[in-house]
Amino acid sequence: MKILVPCKRVPDPDQKLCLNADATDIDASALTFILNPFDAIAVEEALRIRETAHPEAEIIAVSIAPAEGEADLRTALAMGADRALLIEHEGSMDPWNVARLLAAVIQNEQPSLVLMGKQAVDDDANQVGQFLAAQLGWPQATFASQIKFTDNGIRIHRETDLGIEIIHVVLPAVITADLRLNEPRYASLPGILKAKKKPTEHITPTELGIELEPRIRLLGMELVNSQRTCEKVTTATDLLIKLREADVIEG
Amino acid sequence: MGKDTSDVIIIGGGVAGLSTAMQLAKRGVSVTVLEREQISNGSTGRAAGLLGQLRGTAEHTRMLMDGVEIVKGLEAKVGVEIYVQTGSVRVAETPDRSQEITDLVEMGRSINFDIAHIAIDELAERMPYMHTDDITDACWCPTDGHLQPAELAAAYHKVGRDHGARYQTNCPVTGVLLDGNKALGVQTPNGDFRAPIIVNAAGPWSHLVAGLTGTTLPTAALGHIYLTTQPHPDHPVNRLSPGFRNRHHRIYGRPENGGLLVGIYAEDCSEHDMSILPPDFDMSAMKARRDDIHLAMLIHAAQQRFPWIDERTPMHITTGIMTFTPDGLPFCGQLPDYEGLYYCTGFSGHGIVQSPAIGLIMSELILDGNSTYDIASIEADRYWDVPGFQDRAEIQQRCYTMQGSYYGRVEGKTAAENQNGT
Amino acid sequence: MKTLVLIEHDETSLRPGSGAAIGFARELSEEIALLLLGKNLDTIATKAAQYAPVLTADHEALAPTVADRWAHVIAEVAQDQNAELIAATSTSWAKDIVGRAAGLLGGAMASEVVGHEIVNGELHLRRPMFAGAINATLVLEGSPKIITVCPSAYEAPEPAETPFPIEPVAIDASTLPSDTRFESLDCKAGARPDVTEARIVVSGGRAFKTSEDFEQHVGGLADQLGAAAGSSRALVDAGITPNSLQVGQTGKIVAPELYLALGISGAVQHLAGMKNSRVIAAINQDPDAPIFEFADYGLVGDVYEEVPRLTQELNSL
Repeated sequence: MKILVPCKRVPDPDQKLCLNADATDIDASALTFILNPFDAIAVEEALRIRETAHPEAEIIAVSIAPAEGEADLRTALAMGADRALLIEHEGSMDPWNVARLLAAVIQNEQPSLVLMGKQAVDDDANQVGQFLAAQLGWPQATFASQIKFTDNGIRIHRETDLGIEIIHVVLPAVITADLRLNEPRYASLPGILKAKKKPTEHITPTELGIELEPRIRLLGMELVNSQRTCEKVTTATDLLIKLREADVIEG
Repeated sequence: MGKDTSDVIIIGGGVAGLSTAMQLAKRGVSVTVLEREQISNGSTGRAAGLLGQLRGTAEHTRMLMDGVEIVKGLEAKVGVEIYVQTGSVRVAETPDRSQEITDLVEMGRSINFDIAHIAIDELAERMPYMHTDDITDACWCPTDGHLQPAELAAAYHKVGRDHGARYQTNCPVTGVLLDGNKALGVQTPNGDFRAPIIVNAAGPWSHLVAGLTGTTLPTAALGHIYLTTQPHPDHPVNRLSPGFRNRHHRIYGRPENGGLLVGIYAEDCSEHDMSILPPDFDMSAMKARRDDIHLAMLIHAAQQRFPWIDERTPMHITTGIMTFTPDGLPFCGQLPDYEGLYYCTGFSGHGIVQSPAIGLIMSELILDGNSTYDIASIEADRYWDVPGFQDRAEIQQRCYTMQGSYYGRVEGKTAAENQNGT
Repeated sequence: MKTLVLIEHDETSLRPGSGAAIGFARELSEEIALLLLGKNLDTIATKAAQYAPVLTADHEALAPTVADRWAHVIAEVAQDQNAELIAATSTSWAKDIVGRAAGLLGGAMASEVVGHEIVNGELHLRRPMFAGAINATLVLEGSPKIITVCPSAYEAPEPAETPFPIEPVAIDASTLPSDTRFESLDCKAGARPDVTEARIVVSGGRAFKTSEDFEQHVGGLADQLGAAAGSSRALVDAGITPNSLQVGQTGKIVAPELYLALGISGAVQHLAGMKNSRVIAAINQDPDAPIFEFADYGLVGDVYEEVPRLTQELNSL
């Protein structure tokens, strides 16, 4: 069994962000990058699938990133993925093209399962999994909080606004991971040492036969003001008025 | 006095600065604490606070024990528990480490400190979550425990405030004002603050603050890491389970939040260049990468003593920056180059527990010119003009080596013996 | 611009917030049709027809909801109708189904849009990124453009006096994907949301002396607001609240729209867990409590008195 785990390299979400000079993007120069937390959950789930149901499973981590992105792919390898593929690209890429590149990789690799985070914590798009499934014509199961193999497919618990929905899909399928699917492991000392010997292949979009067709043109960014000056109120009633004005409670 | 003039300026709002401010304010002195970012959000906010009162000398032990009394006084004043008296154990699994324990018990007894050997099965009973099969010796100190850093800092802050101390946050010091070799005050983005006495309690930034007057301070900013497990259903940890030190595996720890906190003084640690950090650097936002090598070393070491801990154990990881010195002891007092500039820094991983007594000592040095304690070993000028301690690279190397030898060295052996592993 | 608005419903009524998508579409387009999918759609179609012409894809193969099938039908209808714009309100339903539909329609999609502007004939969309730390302005290239909007960003229109026409859409069930089977939906009524995902977190600290007090005051207010309950470490230590509620450096990191800190002093370790919340309001007896430096709104008072006042006022709405 082959499990493909798309892994996005994202700025560490706990960092203070600054914009570049013309406010068209964040200033990445001083930022630390990590494996997207939701994708770490997907890597972890793939490892658990191998540990509990499919000991023969090969787990491949795929990233679209500049060459430095190897470090974050190595995180997946250190956790236990078998090999990695880095599709070299500078700068951001919209979900449509990410899906197209992944689809091309999938044509080559023929995995039976694509397991990925539901969204990346930088653009918060929550689209790639759905786009990929649509392009491939595969069933999708988004926001998975539990995954179990059955005789002829996978039963997935999905976290929705309405509650937990349970669906069953046949393979091959695309599953996107939600927060509560699992708690990802850290890398063990042996895992880190082994990862140094695991192969990371580099490839370009051209070599995959894909010419990028941008669907999103980013015009600019602005920082949402995080300064706080405490406005004191004297009654509970006044507090509610302020909260309504701030549009955080209804009424 | 105008709001930008006081008797004493303290640079740094961590436990060292806050304790000193409190003690000075209690003696009627006007104090202004200038904090670069937020009060207690530096090393103080990341610390574990383990209190092992028995140190290398009787004097140090006395300082720590007196510190506990100061803390009890604070607890009564603010009505919040700060000192959690869990008792502590030290364990040994080799002849060398066993000897360390025997020496420690002997030394402790000689100064009437409450310490005794403890049978391994009693140890196992007190700490059922610990693997004890390979332990050959252990000792028990019932009066040890830990100080809760946030509560301690808040208490210093509150009591200081009650006595008129003032605190400025988001106020990094960018320059020192001097008249010849006398301190006049400091410069900050919020304007000048004037005082004839300035205390450098800037933790990891201390050597940079010292550099504002061209002074070489032998401190280095080194990374530290500990884990805190979630409560484990099969391995419950009681809130009052003992703190522990396991030098052979380089780990220490204590109960925390229903789980176990385990930290490490590993052979290697990260080194931090504080000069490239933004002035509003938020240490509480520090995180370890999932595949951080020091984290992996910590987990590996913890697992040797607590086999139920591995890379999959639900846990929280805390990283931070400590201020080390070449001998692991702090710098308290003045240096020969200027008048009115004091240092209160370099606590090398023991800032929380030393802060109560240190604050008192600093107030004595500043107001009385001397201390009721024997502070020869922690004097600020002990490396003044000493070759090998003047160059930044040398200082960095020595502090780094000290960190590695903290638990690495076998106490009672010489440096050469430790080097050769004899 | 021909616009298709996808309406989320539960067979009897339109989901709250779906009006926002209609409001958004109205600002951009004169030619709007609402698309409903499912079965037995007559009741819901009549309600929807108060706002715009309605297309119904009414077939038993479309109930219960399966993303693969719905997306297939949405894409077909969009193409048949030559829709240039497809709008929906951003919910988990929309992310799942509209996302896939967009994947079938060329992928020019923007989600969680909070505002827009027409600049030189170009549609500029504003949407949050980096967990709301940044607002990005972007243009979608390609057609159709698929846009989901934040429910609070656009007003639902008033219902019209005369209902609009309702037209059925033909469904060929044999062309629908069949690799997914819906099994069950467990509507979580009563259980509180998780503290890391709730829009509002009501959090209690040291001021609360017992579990009963916490449940009554913090829990009660949380339930009123449909919020999650959180706690500072002090209460977890004291055994008053479970570990799962702990917000803070060694607990959970949360960033809700509203964080209500009740009887929490604001120690740095706690702040590390919630300081990125969009709005922070605090109630504390101590006017010097550090929490007030990190709150947008502060009320100095006894939580045992103020929280019941809050609950009572919210109750009386």
